[in-house]
Amino acid sequence: MERLLKLFLSIAVMFLILSCDSKRERAEAVYKRAIHYPQGSMMSINGIKRATEIDSTYQQAVYELSVAYLKRGLPHKWKPQYNKAVLLDSVQRIPWRGYLYLWFYRDYKKAIADFDASDTLTPNFIDAPQGHSVDYWRGICYLGLKDYNNSIAYFDKYINTEIEESGEDWVEVTAFLYRGIAYFETGNFEEALLNFEKQLQYSRNLSADAKYYKAQILKNQGKVEEAKALIEDAIKDYSVGYYNNRPYVETLRQVYPEDLQALKVELQ
Amino acid sequence: MRTKKVFKILGIILGVIIIAIACFVGYGYYMFSKSLMPENEPFEHASHYIDPDEALLNEGFNVCNESYIAQYYNTPELPYPNGKNGFRNYINLAYVNNNYTDSGYLNIRFIINCEGDVGRFVIHENNLDLEPNLFNEDLKNQLFKLTSEAKGWKPIFLHDEDRDSYMYVSYRIEHGEITEIIP
Repeated sequence: MERLLKLFLSIAVMFLILSCDSKRERAEAVYKRAIHYPQGSMMSINGIKRATEIDSTYQQAVYELSVAYLKRGLPHKWKPQYNKAVLLDSVQRIPWRGYLYLWFYRDYKKAIADFDASDTLTPNFIDAPQGHSVDYWRGICYLGLKDYNNSIAYFDKYINTEIEESGEDWVEVTAFLYRGIAYFETGNFEEALLNFEKQLQYSRNLSADAKYYKAQILKNQGKVEEAKALIEDAIKDYSVGYYNNRPYVETLRQVYPEDLQALKVELQ
Repeated sequence: MRTKKVFKILGIILGVIIIAIACFVGYGYYMFSKSLMPENEPFEHASHYIDPDEALLNEGFNVCNESYIAQYYNTPELPYPNGKNGFRNYINLAYVNNNYTDSGYLNIRFIINCEGDVGRFVIHENNLDLEPNLFNEDLKNQLFKLTSEAKGWKPIFLHDEDRDSYMYVSYRIEHGEITEIIP
């Protein structure tokens, strides 16, 4: 009987020790179970909310609770929730918010303001929300604003830094494409061509976008036959999926088959 | 006597197995259901839910599978009629800025059913800071009519079948002009 009692007490103590997780550990455990459910589903958002109840400073959960609203077109629900995450980790969430303003709201100015703020928050470090430098994203924002000089300046900064630190083959290829488009818009066809060539060089000569812009330049230079061949190539590239696009939303300056066909007709 | 003993042992084993299974099921239910419920104001629906009773143009609209409605982004191609370009051209040609001064995001959410019909609409009106703010009624009605009457929305093709999906169109408007159509 005495032995049984000892055994029972030992088990009870063990359970007590095991259940002494910190608030954060308990919140993380609930969060991990919640995200087994599809994003935005009732059980998912309830579980994530529960995790934030257990630990209201658990930034990942606070942020995650906003994401489904972002992707589903409910900005009035996304923003207040997202901004709670900003209060908990502004260094990570401000440049990230810039990325979201850029793609999900096409608010280039707000996006730039957030990317600029990240320069102040981390003066000796270039932030890279969603895997790309804020300079790359600013290049895109300024292109969206049709401020081509600033767009080129930021793409220069991004590309040169990347070349210096890792080599040209580490540069995100669409930086060449977008810098090419910015040059194209300013009428600097020579620089534009160099950038489109780079885009093609690093994408195994497969890019409907680069070929589409190159064909326009060739047409402008009177090289109609070369332009015709190139637009045919661009159509082929597009048909096998080699065109600039992104998940969830249309990308900036997205090229469509009808654009390619229109140029083809123009060249006839 | 011996048979009785065997039955007794089998009964004990069966009992233990049943209790173990019940504990396992109960534990699973607790961990993946009960323990995930917030103490304050749990959500009663998914984030994308549109209440059919309050939705616009829901009468006569049927979804093919109420228990599984996907999201527009579950496949790479956006489901706009005649592609994004085609839809943008359709809207830009038909929309008339009747001296509106409004700025903000007019978001129209709805369901595209597996046959490409659209219904169960809901409208969200926000200013450019993404805060609730009402638009001019005429502007709102014009864009709602154009969006809901567009023909050729594409059903999402997922797991070898055309399926229902939630979709939204966000019009970014500056001084009455449509400056962006998202997504």
